Formats: sequence, C-alpha cells, structure tokens
Amino acid sequence: MDKPVQQKHWGVSYGEMVWREFAKSRFTLCWLGFIVFLFFLAIFAPFLANDKPFVIRIEGQLRLPLFRDLNATDFSIFLAAIIGLIQLLLIGRNRKRIDPSIRSGVLWRQIFINVFILITGIMLLYSFIPRRLDATDYKSMVASGKATGAIFAPVPYGFGRTDLKVREQPPNSQHWLGTDDVGSDVLCRIIHGSRISLSVGFVAVGISSIIGIFIGSILGYSGGKADFLGMRLVEIMMAVPVFFLILTIIAYYPRSLFNIMLIIGLTTWTEDARFVRAEFFKLRRQDFVQAAISLGLPLRSILFRHMLPNAIAPVLVNASFGIAGAIFIEAALSFLGFGVAPPTPSWGQILSLGVSTTGRFLWWLTVFPGLAIFFTVLAYNLVGEALRDAIDPRLREAL
Amino acid sequence: MKNDSALLIVKGLHVSFFTEKGIAHAVQDVGFSVKKGQTFALVGESGCGKSVTALSIMRLIPEPPGKIEAGEILFRDRNLLALPEYQMRAIRGNHIAMIFQEPMTSLNPVYTIGEQIIEAIQLHQKKTEEQAWELAIETLQKVGIPEPRQRISEYPHQMSGGMRQRVMIAMAISCKPEMLIADEPTTALDVTIQAQILDLLDELQRQSQMSILLITHDLGIVEERASDVAVMYASKIAELAGCKDLFEKPFHPYTQGLLKSMPHLGFTEKRLNTIPGIVPDPLHFPSGCKFHPRCYLGCNDKRCRTIEPELREVALERKVACWYAPGYEKPDDPKL
Repeated sequence: MDKPVQQKHWGVSYGEMVWREFAKSRFTLCWLGFIVFLFFLAIFAPFLANDKPFVIRIEGQLRLPLFRDLNATDFSIFLAAIIGLIQLLLIGRNRKRIDPSIRSGVLWRQIFINVFILITGIMLLYSFIPRRLDATDYKSMVASGKATGAIFAPVPYGFGRTDLKVREQPPNSQHWLGTDDVGSDVLCRIIHGSRISLSVGFVAVGISSIIGIFIGSILGYSGGKADFLGMRLVEIMMAVPVFFLILTIIAYYPRSLFNIMLIIGLTTWTEDARFVRAEFFKLRRQDFVQAAISLGLPLRSILFRHMLPNAIAPVLVNASFGIAGAIFIEAALSFLGFGVAPPTPSWGQILSLGVSTTGRFLWWLTVFPGLAIFFTVLAYNLVGEALRDAIDPRLREAL
Repeated sequence: MKNDSALLIVKGLHVSFFTEKGIAHAVQDVGFSVKKGQTFALVGESGCGKSVTALSIMRLIPEPPGKIEAGEILFRDRNLLALPEYQMRAIRGNHIAMIFQEPMTSLNPVYTIGEQIIEAIQLHQKKTEEQAWELAIETLQKVGIPEPRQRISEYPHQMSGGMRQRVMIAMAISCKPEMLIADEPTTALDVTIQAQILDLLDELQRQSQMSILLITHDLGIVEERASDVAVMYASKIAELAGCKDLFEKPFHPYTQGLLKSMPHLGFTEKRLNTIPGIVPDPLHFPSGCKFHPRCYLGCNDKRCRTIEPELREVALERKVACWYAPGYEKPDDPKL
C-alpha cells in the first residue's frame, strides 16, 4: 500500500519504547551481545569445529569435504538464521517505511510468509539432502603427504570423532580445553553442544508459553466457575515435581531431543498461565477492553489483539527465565544420563563425564561446560530482568 | 403506547450484583423509551444505577457478579436480553455504540488510533483497507480533529483528553449507529472542552438522525439538549418527564433539590443549595421511599417511611414516584 510518508508525525510504538528503555543500560546490552554470540556459535558450529577441512587437494583434485559433509539439519539451521535475519531487517524497514496503523498487519503477513518459506524449505532440505558418512581421516592424509593445501576449521576436531590415544587429557596446545573419556575434543563438543542447549531452551519455552498464554487468557477472561476449575488444575500441575515427572517419562520413551523439549514444554506452562490470567483479570475491567467489546469485536480479537499485547510483558520476562530453566533441566537430564543420546554433545552430558570410570576427577570436563551453562543462564536471567524493568515504567505512565 | 417513533424501549429492568457482603440491587424496575433522532437523558448522582442501565443495554454487565434478573430491552422490537451473544455482537458498534467516561483509558495504548478505528469499520462494513482508511480519516475530520491524515497514525498517548474523546466518538460513529450511548462523556474533561464535545454530539445527531442516550450527573448540560429526562435515585426512576416540563415544574423533591443545587448565571446567592445527606448504600436501602431520609417533605411522614411509592403517570407523558406529587393517588391503607 502506498501511504503518504509522514515520518515526523509517527509516534513511538510500544515495542520501540520498551527497546529504548532496555537499551539504556550498557551492561544489559553486553549480555544481550553474549546471547547473540551464543547464537552465532550454534549456527556456525560446523564451520568453527570440524575435523573435515574446508578445502583440500587430494591427488591434484580440489575437494570441499566440509561443505559436502553438511547435513539437512545444518542447512535447516542456516535457512532459519537467514530468514530470522531477514525478518529483523524487515522490522527495521517497517519502522521507517510503513505507517504504524497498518504496521502490525504487514508484520503478521511477513511472519506468515517467512514461516511458510521456512517450513517448506526444511521439508525440501530433509527430503533432498542425503545423509553422507565421510569417515576419511583427512588429517592423517595431510600428515602422510597424500593430500596438500588443506584449510581446517579453527577447532579441527569432529564432535563424534573418537581418538583413544589422547583420552582424558587436560588442556594443552592441541586440545585447548582437554579431551573426554573417548578422546573427543571438549571445546568442539561445547561449541556443538550450544545448539542443543539453545534449541531446548527456545522450543521448550515456546511450547510452554503458547500453552500458558492460551489457558491463562481464557481463564482470566471468563472468570467464574471455569476459572475456579482451571486454577485448581493449574495448582495440581504445580504440585507435581516436574523434574521427576520428566525423568519418569523419559525412562519410558526414546531418548530424543524432541521428546525432551516437548516434555519440558508440556510441564512448565503453569507459571505463564498464572501470569496471563492475573493480567487478564486486571485488563478485563479496563475501559479500552469494555470499549472494544462495545464495538462488537469478536472474542478472538478482544482476547488476543486487544488484551494480550497489554498482558504479554510478564510472559516475555518469564520466557527468558524459562529458557535458562530449560537449559538447566536439559543439562541435569544429560548429567544423569537421560539426555540426548551420545555422540550428540550437550553441556550437561560433558559435565557428567567429570568423574572418570577409574574414579579420577577430570576438572576440565566440569569447569568448562559448567561455565558455559553458568554464563548462558546468567545472561538470560539478566536480560529477563532488564526486560522487566524496561516494560514496567512504560506501563505505569501510559495506563 | 406512544412508541411508534421509539427506537429503544426499556421495560422493568432489574439488575443485581451478588457481592460478598450481600446482594446489591443496582437497578430496579427501570423503564423508559428513547425516540428516534432525539436525546434521552438519564440523570442521577453517582451510584444510582444509571451506568449499570447503560451497560445492561449493551449487555456489558460482568457476570458474575452482576446479573440481569428481569426486564426487557427492546431495540427495534427485538429483545436484546434474549439474543444470543453472536447476534448481540452484530448489534454492538453497528447499531448501538457507546462512548465512555474516561477518554484517557478508553483507547488501547498499543495501537494507533487509525488502527482501532479501521478495525471497527472493517468489522461491520465490507470495505477494503484503503476504503476503511479513507473513511477513518473522514470520520476524524467530522469529529473535528485537525490534520486527520497525520493524526490517524498517532498513538493515544500523544493526544490530549479532549482529542481522545473525539477519537472515541469517531470510533463509535464510524459505523453509523442508530443509537449512541454516552456514559458521562464530558465528566473527565475541562469545562471548555465539555461544551465542544456536547456541541459535536448535537451536530452529529442532526446530521445522521441518531438517537442519543446521554447519561450524566450534570443537569445543566441536559437542559438544552435532551427531549426527555429520567431522574434516577437509588436504583429507581424518581421522575420521568419531558425536558421542558421537568425544568419548569419538577414534581419529585429530589429533582427539585438537584435543580436548586445548580448554579445559575446572574443569580447572586451566597451559598448554593445542597441536598442534605448522602446516597444510600445499595446493600442497605432505607425502608419506604428511598429518598425519605433526605427529603424536606417526607422525612417525618409515616407513609413515606413505610411504603415505597411506585412510578405512576400523573400527567401526560409525565411519571413520578412521590406521595406528595400533584395528582399522585394516596394509598388506600386504613392504617395510615
């Protein structure tokens, strides 16, 4: 749509206000930067830590083993990252080009198209990219002089590659963070493990937020008997020790990452539901909600268009704490041996190897993944806290 | 009845709120009719049930704790209280619209005013985004917002109270409703803005032949604008009359008290009259006539203290609920 561009009259939207308040603190931005860095690690893990070289010349032929070795999951992650970046740029462009009155409509259209592209893209990638198993040991080829001109990744080890000659080595010049019980490089496994931790955090919290928002908004808006029964259900859910429930379920079902995410998501929505319900209770009496009802808007619009954006703040804050919590739960599950199946690396799983079968305490297997978990959880908590502070004053002055 | 031209008829409306302290009868046996293209004023002190009456017409009473226990609300001969929710939604905004008392909180802070008006337009009318956009600008122009093309993209927090109330009116009239309920539309505004908003409502009414149900506690704004007035006191209608009649010769002592406590230009009274006492608590209404503890006529009358007078027609198009009103029959109780 061609709307007259009248930038100077455009007001500051809700999102912009929160962002400005959020960005006031350098400290918070640093931690946000750390989270962005973690994303970078997770997305580019195969380029940062891989035992296959980018390029290599074998018998005069130039080969690209690393790129040939990328599987459908890697490409899906790249696709998601590119689409996410495009969406962020589009949001920036919308702010300058699109009139605020139609901005949210445009935004939803963009998100819909991008998600559609993402899903079809992932399905195509998984159906067309074959699984290759390249077991060639390029390093020994280079060492024996069969191949030349190899360029390796900064951490030239594969996360699944075992090397029993160098098992349980403390940090040294070859393996900067040491090796584990089967001789895999710890740094490499931590880099690849960030993928598991981040995806567990985001998917689990995504599932739990959606369930929590849906249940909380319906309970908060309807009130009365439905609310009473619903809240008792939520209280029953809260009384169940979630961690042991997860352990029990994991013991019966196959150990897959997807199952872990799903179970964390399905059991941790109660907080969100309670927050959203409390906000909706307050908002239901607000004049603008009454005005929206008196205009004859359908329930869907009143609940999710008019009330939810005003009630989303505590959910967002809780989500950042929830991501930290989910990372913790995944680490704890892996530590106990119920997490993702090896050789897939995860931080908790590396941590669990800290005491070797011979009873030795291997400090580098405890400290480094422990620090990774610590800083990630800390970053999410601090960002969540800053978000809460950024949202609060705005609400106080505008309502 | 004389309801050939009546757009909205309220009959025997009874609304109660079930609170922890007991049952509050907020509205009891209220009935009136609003004629096409005219303004009907509902006047009374805070807590007398006038807003609850308005919310009942829109079916906006929160249930629980509230409940519409009895009555009929006929809008173009359809009983709104019997309609299912989805049909009620088609009436809200499209046929009956409402503007609220507090313009500062009546607009959603998250969306621009244009977005909110366009949503209402597109809900009830088949219009493309561009047509709705143009109509929104047109409506904003109509309610007297300067530079509507720029203003449409602003957020509520960028506007003053008077401007916001204009936006609320624009939202309400954007779908050309036959009836507008204005629940104390000017109470929260400056006196100068009050007159502007009321003049705007008059102007819009003249243009589109829309009926207005004006709810207010300010008799002063009623005098020039309404055709009929109902004075409510403690959940019931005390007096119902044509505007002229009521101001010329009020029958009910409460109406008299309200009129006396209005300041008049040119009069140099030292002190403004007030009605002694306070509005009774809806949980503990006094026995008999609810106004008797504050009434100069009936405070010592046994009849007023024990038997509540019902609303009776004492003259043409004139109803009152007071034992002392001229033409009001005395009760045939030998004990009194």
